[in-house]
Amino acid sequence: MREDGKRQQIFRILARGIRTVLEREHLDFNELQEIRLRIGKPLMIVYKNTELIIPKETAEKHLVTKDELRETLDYISHYSMYAYESEIRQGFITIEGGHRVGMTGKVILEKDRIKNMQYISSVNIRVAHEVIGCGNRVLPFLTKNKEICHTLIISPPRCGKTTLIRDLIRQISNGNTYVKGCTVGVVDERSELGGCHMGIAQNDMGIRTDILDCCPKADGMILLIRSMAPRVLAVDEIGGEEETRAIEYAMQCGCKLLASVHGTDLDEICGKPGLSRLTEQRRFERYVVLNNQKDPGAVHAIYDEWGNVLCRDL
Amino acid sequence: MQRFVGAVLILLATGSAGILYGIEQQCYLEKLLYIRHIVYMLKGELDYAGIPLGEVFGRVAVRVKEPYRRWLHNLEKQVEKREEDGFFKIWMRSVDNYLKELHLKSEHSIQLKELGTYLGKMDSVSESRNLQLYIDRLELEIEKVREGLASKKRIGNCLGIMGGLFLIVVLI
Repeated sequence: MREDGKRQQIFRILARGIRTVLEREHLDFNELQEIRLRIGKPLMIVYKNTELIIPKETAEKHLVTKDELRETLDYISHYSMYAYESEIRQGFITIEGGHRVGMTGKVILEKDRIKNMQYISSVNIRVAHEVIGCGNRVLPFLTKNKEICHTLIISPPRCGKTTLIRDLIRQISNGNTYVKGCTVGVVDERSELGGCHMGIAQNDMGIRTDILDCCPKADGMILLIRSMAPRVLAVDEIGGEEETRAIEYAMQCGCKLLASVHGTDLDEICGKPGLSRLTEQRRFERYVVLNNQKDPGAVHAIYDEWGNVLCRDL
Repeated sequence: MQRFVGAVLILLATGSAGILYGIEQQCYLEKLLYIRHIVYMLKGELDYAGIPLGEVFGRVAVRVKEPYRRWLHNLEKQVEKREEDGFFKIWMRSVDNYLKELHLKSEHSIQLKELGTYLGKMDSVSESRNLQLYIDRLELEIEKVREGLASKKRIGNCLGIMGGLFLIVVLI
């Protein structure tokens, strides 16, 4: 995505006061990672992996007001908070371009379950970065006979797993020297992969990709298998018991799985309920472990199904 | 002969004015009925799809006639632009700009504007209830207008003819 497009998408959801302050900073939006708004607290951003308090040049910092936060929420929700109830229940909204807006406030409970959120006091805008070609170094290790292996990407938050999986989807879908182009079904529960807006992907997901937007992963995988016959199924941030069962089902249906999960290493994944069963059965043929010790998206290691290291520090 | 023709013309003119008054009352009722129809459609879209207001207005706009179509398209555009602090301001302005040609009575115009202050803020259940509440209030107003319509039409017709006769007596 171009820098000015990203700038426009982010500015459109910010209150005018905050927009003005950020405009004066002359930021490169390709390097902007987060914008944090907290009522009564200074405006903060994460820029080039560094946290900055805005305005960075002056001693007097911009304090975010209640009205600015309300205005921002109005813009984020297109003046329609009711339409994002289910997303707010999960704590975040995905906006046009795949950017994720996390929020905290007072939770409304109903029968011990989160019903909604009110008095929202903090907002964290995480800028999505589409890095075309970031999967180039990884892809050769994930293919056999020009077919993708069942792959699990393991990564802590903010290490670029969504960015990597998105680029892998694009390459598998389009096809290249390492992999033959094939249909890819994507279950995009939080609209992060495709960044769909009104059903249309804002990110380049390849020519043979079908996206099921805002659908629960377990249901979505089964639905895609039945309706679109994908050769490869891609899902982001798996974890639940139901999801692992759906993955098993998909693997038995002849689909190749490309999935990601939060974690720091292979041992941690082997200890997770549900996923441990899949690792014991050696369902996944490749494990890609990411960390951000050097840069976000840096590959720590790639393992095969037996836990042998195929490569390190890519 | 001239006097006779003049008298007939006066009678025709005042009688037509009376009939026109009745037609106007009928049209006003139809305007209220159409607004109710639009709000029902908005509610239906909202209940069924739970989509943001901009999309709701866009979807309904293509199914309604002018000037309501222009009004809803403008609402859609303004919501998508996201430049106004608060939805109610967009709503108020659009009602003033695009529905003024309807010449709604002040109480009906105020009720319609009030609807904008409740939209877009709460959960979908409250949103739907607010729209239903407005529809219920509008039903009452429609009923009031409908009840008075027959008598107003009759009064219009009678006054037209009586006024004409009065003018004939005075002038001729």
